[in-house]
Amino acid sequence: MGLFDGIAQGFAVALDPINLLYVFAGVLIGTVIGVLPGLGPTATIALLLPLTYTIEPATAVILLAGIYYGSMYGGTITSVLLRLPGEAASVVTTFDGYQMAKQGRAGPALGIAAVGSFVGGILSVLGLMLLAPPLADLAVSFGPPEYVALTALGILLVTYLGSGTPLKSLSMAALGLLLATMGQDPITGTTRFTFGSVALFDGLDFVAVAMGLFGVGEILHSLERTEKVQAVTKKITHIWPTRKDFKDSSGAIARGSVLGFVIGVLPGGGGVISSLASYALEKRRAKDPSRFGRGAIEGVAGPETANNASSTSAFIPLLTLGIPANVVLALIFGALLVQGVTPGPQLITEEPEIFWGVIASMVVGNVMLLALNIPLVGVFVQLLRVRAGILAAFALLVTMAGVFSVSNDSFDMWVVLVFGVIGWLMKKTGFEPGPLVLAFVLGEIMERAFRQSMLLSGGSLDIFVTRPLSGGLLAVMAAVVVLSLVMARRRRAAFRQVDPEDEFGREDGTGPVEGEPGLSAEPATGRNARHTSDSTDSDAASTPGER
Amino acid sequence: MSTSAPAPAPARSPRSARSQLHRIAPLLLLALGVGALLMARDMGLGEFTAPGPGLWPAIVAGLLTATSAALLFLDPAEDYEPWTAGTARIVAGLAGLALFIVLFQTIGFVIPAFLLLFAWLRFFGGESWRMALVLAVAGAIALHLVFVVALGVPFPAGPVDQLLGA
Repeated sequence: MGLFDGIAQGFAVALDPINLLYVFAGVLIGTVIGVLPGLGPTATIALLLPLTYTIEPATAVILLAGIYYGSMYGGTITSVLLRLPGEAASVVTTFDGYQMAKQGRAGPALGIAAVGSFVGGILSVLGLMLLAPPLADLAVSFGPPEYVALTALGILLVTYLGSGTPLKSLSMAALGLLLATMGQDPITGTTRFTFGSVALFDGLDFVAVAMGLFGVGEILHSLERTEKVQAVTKKITHIWPTRKDFKDSSGAIARGSVLGFVIGVLPGGGGVISSLASYALEKRRAKDPSRFGRGAIEGVAGPETANNASSTSAFIPLLTLGIPANVVLALIFGALLVQGVTPGPQLITEEPEIFWGVIASMVVGNVMLLALNIPLVGVFVQLLRVRAGILAAFALLVTMAGVFSVSNDSFDMWVVLVFGVIGWLMKKTGFEPGPLVLAFVLGEIMERAFRQSMLLSGGSLDIFVTRPLSGGLLAVMAAVVVLSLVMARRRRAAFRQVDPEDEFGREDGTGPVEGEPGLSAEPATGRNARHTSDSTDSDAASTPGER
Repeated sequence: MSTSAPAPAPARSPRSARSQLHRIAPLLLLALGVGALLMARDMGLGEFTAPGPGLWPAIVAGLLTATSAALLFLDPAEDYEPWTAGTARIVAGLAGLALFIVLFQTIGFVIPAFLLLFAWLRFFGGESWRMALVLAVAGAIALHLVFVVALGVPFPAGPVDQLLGA
């Protein structure tokens, strides 16, 4: 199928009235939860997973994708107005966006973020259309050893490029792989780690694990913080940026699009890394870097563009290789698996309506978001009045009812509860739930591919190295480890360099809205942020009159 | 990773509590890894040529064991959030959720849903009695309508289902 046939088919799917409704629902929910305190895109997608089983696979992914990139728009609003990132990738926006708001330019900050996100999203969709099919063609020739190498690469990249300590993330990935082995052995049918429980014969349910770790775990964690969000009452005007604003930020938007796209394709690279990279780039390029942190519009436009571009291009590894690039995509991957669709190189030929439909829906969704955001910012801001306690109570109940509905089994409710406790404890102890869930999703594929490879090679581990593709992938893996170690150091340096304030907020973007930001900072970033906390600009933290 | 909530550490001595905690998480993981290794060995490792059911679990359990053993020594202590008085609220919240599941299995959705919402809104959300009552009644009925009536989820039968049109 040619590119244009594919695109045409995609739009036919995306413009179907039902799917249009779901795109709209997705981007609206995404924006809302981006703004709402205490719920991030990961938790929301986890909560909505049970719902997606009742709808078509293409529609389900269209909905979930809409939530994902929609939250990138929504998260900006709280970053600019309250200096509290609604989701992870908007952390960087707090630097200059909040300063702009203090200068009475909240409108243009939000406007340029929406425009930038739109441009980044659309350009990234174009890149996705051009890059994904050839990549899928290449990947079709992959055999089991390549899949072992690919899944290992995916897990490794997420642990290295993610937000936590690599070693801790790696141990969580190992735990995820171990949890995935519970239940019947895929080849011999022997039961493993079931402890005599019939309910565990099929293993742990992915939905229950994800909902427990991200949904209940988050809610429990937020219970410990009792601070309330302050409602915003200030009116926001002049949302559409002036010509000068556009002129100032057009370069940042263009660079942010490219940067975000490239970083998003790398596993583990979406979201906060892309916005941070863009901020660092803009600051370095600026004639007067001292403006950054004091309300430079490029500091809002670039990162916001980059994070939306990366959230789109992050779909490339999922749709072409079957490797989720980050946690949100791992959840989408899981949603497809339960539907009986295995994302991978065959997706484009076997399920073209999913592949092209999702891509086309992103175009539609970004148009909707632009149309929603410019006029309706004031309405979304009112959402900040919703109290976190009310939201948490309902989210919990919906989680419990939702997980029961997946297989009409109350055992899954206990699984959610147990993983809720684990998720909360992980937050307390600085372990990342992301690698665990990703590894849990990939575990079965990886084991099957590993055992098939062993059968192919007659028990020799050489097969992973001698086959050109898997050997190449393993070489990439080795290169990435080295590179990421370098990058991690540079990233730490970048954090130190770009951080004008004393806080970062959480990487998962759900916490700080109701907590005291300095306390809830994610360990890795928070540690770095602390280096500068005492020396810089402490008056900005204590201006309640502006809120 | 324990599956039960550890007792909240006393807030008075955060330093010693933290240094304790520093070791507990990797130790638990290490115990889990070693336990899984032993169980995997019992399942039968087989050979690389003919992998048994225990081979792959043994490999990943080995990875878990190795990483958690390394974490015993390399884990940065700053990663750990201090335990606060709020931890007690979590334990209470967990007990409430467990009670909800038990009640749900015996008397259906509506009443436990109302109780969960009401208790959570009043005690954790800090809503007024009236607000909590109104929201809990409305929420329980609305979710019953969504899940049972609209989506047809077969929740366990309960005493008030007929009234709401199950």
